[in-house]
Amino acid sequence: MSLKKWVTLIGFSLFLSSKLVTAQEAGGNLVYIVQPEPPSLAPYLSTSGPIGLVAPKIYQGLLDYDLDLNIVPELAESYDISEDGLTVTFNLQKGVTWHDGKPFTSADVQFSIMDVLKKFHPRGPNSFKEVSEIQTPDDHTAIFKLDRPAPYMMRAFAGYESPIVPKHLLEGTDIRSADLANNPVGTGPFKFVEWKKGQYIRLEKNEDYWKEGLPYLDRLVARIIPDASTRTAAMESGEVMYGAYGAIPNVDVVRLREMDSIGITTDGYSMINPVSLLEFDTTQPPFDDPAIRNAISMTIDRQFLIDNIWFGYGNAATSALSSNFEPTGLYKASANYPGKPDTAAAIKILDDAGIKADANGVRLKATLDLIPYGEDWRRAGEYIKQALGDIGIDLDLRYEDVPTWIKRVYGDYDFAMNLNYFYQLPDPVIGVHRHYGTDQIRAGTPFVNSSRYSDEELDNLLVAGATSADPEERKGIYHKIQDKLGTDQPVVNLFEMKFITVFNKKLKDHDYSAMGSYSSFDRTWLEK
Amino acid sequence: MNHSAKRIRYVLKRLLQAIPVIVAILVVNFFLLHLAEGDAVDVLAGEAGSATPEYMAQLREKFGLDKPLPVQLAIYLKNVLSFDLGYSFRHDMPVSKLVLDRFIPTLLLMVSTILLAVGFGIVLGLLAASGLNTWRDNVISIFALITYATPLFWIGLMMIVVFSLKLHWFPTSGMENVAMFYEGWDRVKDIAHHLVMPTVTLSLFYLALYTRLMRASMLEQAGMDYVVTARAKGLTERRIVFGHILRNALLPVVTMAGVQVGALIGGSVIVESVFAWPGLGMLAYEALFSRDLNLLLGIFLLSALLVVAINLIVDIIYSFLDPRIEVS
Repeated sequence: MSLKKWVTLIGFSLFLSSKLVTAQEAGGNLVYIVQPEPPSLAPYLSTSGPIGLVAPKIYQGLLDYDLDLNIVPELAESYDISEDGLTVTFNLQKGVTWHDGKPFTSADVQFSIMDVLKKFHPRGPNSFKEVSEIQTPDDHTAIFKLDRPAPYMMRAFAGYESPIVPKHLLEGTDIRSADLANNPVGTGPFKFVEWKKGQYIRLEKNEDYWKEGLPYLDRLVARIIPDASTRTAAMESGEVMYGAYGAIPNVDVVRLREMDSIGITTDGYSMINPVSLLEFDTTQPPFDDPAIRNAISMTIDRQFLIDNIWFGYGNAATSALSSNFEPTGLYKASANYPGKPDTAAAIKILDDAGIKADANGVRLKATLDLIPYGEDWRRAGEYIKQALGDIGIDLDLRYEDVPTWIKRVYGDYDFAMNLNYFYQLPDPVIGVHRHYGTDQIRAGTPFVNSSRYSDEELDNLLVAGATSADPEERKGIYHKIQDKLGTDQPVVNLFEMKFITVFNKKLKDHDYSAMGSYSSFDRTWLEK
Repeated sequence: MNHSAKRIRYVLKRLLQAIPVIVAILVVNFFLLHLAEGDAVDVLAGEAGSATPEYMAQLREKFGLDKPLPVQLAIYLKNVLSFDLGYSFRHDMPVSKLVLDRFIPTLLLMVSTILLAVGFGIVLGLLAASGLNTWRDNVISIFALITYATPLFWIGLMMIVVFSLKLHWFPTSGMENVAMFYEGWDRVKDIAHHLVMPTVTLSLFYLALYTRLMRASMLEQAGMDYVVTARAKGLTERRIVFGHILRNALLPVVTMAGVQVGALIGGSVIVESVFAWPGLGMLAYEALFSRDLNLLLGIFLLSALLVVAINLIVDIIYSFLDPRIEVS
């Protein structure tokens, strides 16, 4: 199989856009929900979800991904990977300008990756770890030089994950405190106009957008509505037409989906891959014994959680990796993830491990910390407390506010068991490795290896998985990783979450990209 | 010394007295807020999904969070004295700009609520008291009891269901129509249209309070000797009620209104949240959860100033209502 892959998609994309122009209606203002209010509009500094709902309309990436996860061109019209996987050449679109009128060139790409994303982005240092240099022989060519092959990198070029930012506005400034964070200037279909804190962020159509005839919408307004019931009411009344990432709670979704004017979809999250899970402190009793963690995994009725708390939106986890990785071949079901809960087997595991029950049937006591992101997680905690009570694990529940919880779990490691969810993102190297690698035990850094699980065999497998350029070899490596994690269970995955996007049916073509609500919306249009 | 010069001296004296109060509020709040676990950097890093320890240390240094508490306090007080409220790291903006942006919507909601609640409360209390133990009194008392006992968020949501979703009279939420962005008079009308439901919801709660207070106060005054005297003088019932009883009965209501202005800023969080009204209450609430202490202290300072100012105004209103109360 040849690694050389010339993708010249520009002809196809021109064909596509000309075909689309005839079918669409231009004009109209789209008001959609962003919740909570984003901390800034600097996607190059923070991957915070609400930023993703707004910033990719302003900033673009080199590539995008369609619903089948195929690579489609964005700021790069084509790319080429060398045989040895060490050189990736991007041919950039011509005639692209920044919103302030300056031309977009390969220097912007070089600066964005090397001086911004690789240094300041939360995930950039991992995504571009192997990039040692970017050459810019001319204004429209950027050549990435890699130390080792990095197949996962090709999944990290979307506008949300790796936005290309204007060199002329950031160079020589303190990137972290640059004014650009509140006054973004990009190449995207919409220009930033105004941000009224606590109310809305207003974007207007970019008349000089480099894609001919796009965007269709005249104006995008991201509205901030703190109360979930009010968000539902605003969606019902048509005041807002789009809400993603659980903006409309599941309990209301089951009512709204009966309305003729409203549609729902769970597409558009395949690059995010959220998985709910339990983290354990594996360094000290009681959860240092893998047998206990396996018994917990055997006991919890994952389908019960999905059906009764998340209204059926989710799939029971069957491995350390989400089954969404199945198309890439990396996913494999692993041990200790039973289809149905098996309390008897769990009790046998505990008995065999010599963990005895006292007179009240209690084998061990612990505190379960709950992710403070809403009522659903509290209810899930109550269910887990009850379920684990059946095998003699007596839990206390603790629910704190976000800063206290983050400091406890990721700063002080002052926890035993933690209910949480993680984004597995488009490739395990970007989203999953951070949970298990010894090098990811980083006190004070949120959402990494808080279990402090450390295993040399697994570390070697992770390195091999990150640097293997051969897809077949990669599959084998990840199957081994999942077998290993299925046995050790430093983290027990519960279920693959399905976020729901709720939209007014007048809104069309909002779901053309795998990035879903984190896409640019340049092809999105409103029916009059 | 004439009356108005006396009044000005009084106002100045009161303002001077307020300074130590406000400094004390700032200092106490500063230490109270630092008792909370975690800081702004933890929150920012948590929201970002991941961050390196070096990055977090750098942020703490930039925010000045690495210095000892007393030093942080000294720096803060020094800045406040030079009218600099500091910088909100969470919003990446000066605190003064953030707070002032939210001040106008808060003031709109507060003033309209107070006017509505006090105005209607006085009228209803008057009606109830003058028709003591008749059907009118009973209806008003029951109404007051129900509105006082009903949770605000529930009233708000029911208003949305009835008046927005069913009748389509009012928009569900927000301060203006953000699909259209009206300008000029259209914008004023649009904002007024959006203001109706939050004001009515918030007023209902306070309305009950003022109604009951007014009723009790009217009844108390009606039994006073001066009322008997007025009646003996042969004044009409109308003159007695409006010229004598009402004026005296208003004093406790005005006192209450002055005290409640402070509570109104905090108590409006629920209404601001339900109707997505961009007020200070919601800003304070969010600032607390993101450990944005500069912003919180800024809001506290503004609220403290507001309470001091309102209480001063209330004291001056007293002297108009009852000339026996001297401002000195």
